[in-house]
Amino acid sequence: MAFLTPLEIRRFPWPLIPHEANLAAFYNIFGFDYALPNGTSPASGQAEQIIRGLINSVAVSIVVTMITLVIVLPLAYMFARTSFRLKNSLLFAILLGTALPPISTLIPFYAMYLRLGLVGTLTGLVIVNLTVTVPLVTWMLIGYFRNLPPIERLARIDGYGHLAAFVGLVLPQARSGVAVAAVITFLFAWNEYTYALMLVNGSTANTLPTAISGFLFMYPEPSNLAASVIITIVPPALVAYFLQRHVGDMNLVDAVR
Amino acid sequence: MARIEVQGLHKIYGKHVAVQGLDLEIAAGELLVLLGPSGCGKTTTLNLIAGLDAPSSGAIMFDGQDVTGISAYRRNVAMVFQSALLYPHLTALRNIETSLRHRGLDRAARRHRIAEVARMLGIEILLNKLPSELSGGERQLVATAKAIVREPEAFLLDEPLSALDAALRLSLRAELVKLQKRLGVTTVFVTHDQVEAMTMGDRIAVMSNGRLEQVGTPDEIYNAPVTLFVAGFIGTPPMNLIAGEIVAGQFRQGRFSIPVTAPPGPATLGVRPQDVRVVAPGGEGALQVEVFAMEHLGRESVLIAESGDGSKMRVLVPANFRARMGDHLGLLPDSAQCLVFGADGRRVIVERGSVSRYANR
Repeated sequence: MAFLTPLEIRRFPWPLIPHEANLAAFYNIFGFDYALPNGTSPASGQAEQIIRGLINSVAVSIVVTMITLVIVLPLAYMFARTSFRLKNSLLFAILLGTALPPISTLIPFYAMYLRLGLVGTLTGLVIVNLTVTVPLVTWMLIGYFRNLPPIERLARIDGYGHLAAFVGLVLPQARSGVAVAAVITFLFAWNEYTYALMLVNGSTANTLPTAISGFLFMYPEPSNLAASVIITIVPPALVAYFLQRHVGDMNLVDAVR
Repeated sequence: MARIEVQGLHKIYGKHVAVQGLDLEIAAGELLVLLGPSGCGKTTTLNLIAGLDAPSSGAIMFDGQDVTGISAYRRNVAMVFQSALLYPHLTALRNIETSLRHRGLDRAARRHRIAEVARMLGIEILLNKLPSELSGGERQLVATAKAIVREPEAFLLDEPLSALDAALRLSLRAELVKLQKRLGVTTVFVTHDQVEAMTMGDRIAVMSNGRLEQVGTPDEIYNAPVTLFVAGFIGTPPMNLIAGEIVAGQFRQGRFSIPVTAPPGPATLGVRPQDVRVVAPGGEGALQVEVFAMEHLGRESVLIAESGDGSKMRVLVPANFRARMGDHLGLLPDSAQCLVFGADGRRVIVERGSVSRYANR
């Protein structure tokens, strides 16, 4: 649909395969006019939102992924490999955090954010994303860390401290786990719509999914909507492509043992 | 090459007592085997000696110096773990090198030392491989190289051979002992395999339920077990243990009786399968049994027989011995070789015979 001209779209049924690949929509959504043989396809009114949404989405996703990894890797490792007081209660609390649907926490978040002045800010969006990704990915990685060979004792004989062993010996072995955690976090942050719609839509902190939803409402522009969706698919596809070989390595089936 | 002393060692996990009042002295350069069934506290003991765990009470001394509060690394012990644990993402060379990390040696000196050890163990061609590319035996050699390259005060080996197949275990067993003797490093070797313990140890410490049952040379452990547990645990086929009682210098069970030197009361008679003679059924004083099975070992056979109370007796018989299942036979233990254990599971020491007979063998 992204490659059809407005004329072709109006036909019914519209052709499944466009007669010629027409890049008009891709120009339009980034704010450029596009000359067609039978007239001009004008720049979309949503262009500003789309461009800003793209930049914001990339920024939010990367920042959320990085913060999540920094928090989750040591956290999951501790849960998997050490024992401490209240471990099981805390573990349960983490799981509970992932069990709530986002809708149910939306209004409390909004009320809180109003007071803190975080509505319509990227910081606010990052924080709200972390509340979901951190528990989810922690839970996922615990099983992974549990299955790594028990090298901690060997490391202590060799004179590594806890931190040195984790950074120098455990993480290098855990590359697949780190990669999978990164993919999942990135995809979640990239596709997150519910919170973004409520907290940042219409502001300068708009993300791509909410910006795209703009095409659905007052003046539907099907080609532009489709073109934006294709743009949206590109980054996660790239991320998944480069990290996919690790996903297979990671044995999630053994996670509960 | 430290002399290791373990004094009044206790280790308690919550309600579970893993090690209970262990006293042990390991001479410098000695190979001591810690032997016991799984869960007896032998690995815990090894971890305590290594400094990987802190004891609940008690002390560990290296050469008379208390090292109880000192970290594993500073004790300068080398450890080989079950199934020859290595860092999976590092090559054999880098794995060995981690042992020398804090030595203040420059790269060339480290590589020189590793090359020397690699030559000694014949693993030069393995150095650039990852652990996943090595066979079980090769990993074992690399783990050993990693241990000896640091010239430790003590080697601590935690069932290093248990994951290997039988043939490999046999050859590595001899190689490890030879290496240990050549280097003269104090070694503690943990195993649940009594054959491994008998063949490798200068001395064996038998543990059960967190307690030390007996420490002694393989000869002492085999011929003069102090407790019922040691008697039953050491030896293949295992020692026959017959429950009964002692009345007027005779051990009795039903119609079976044999003269022993022991005070009256309930007791257990222990006799090795090679010290039992097969006689015709109905004979006076013999244990009446029914043939349960025969196991042919080639040079000899094991006759497994069931006595009246349902307990099994094992007897070594010549390879040409023929018996069919269900045949009735009499068994006559050699009274000079019988060990008597009291109701508390400890051997009644007064009787003579077995120790002196085997001592000069």
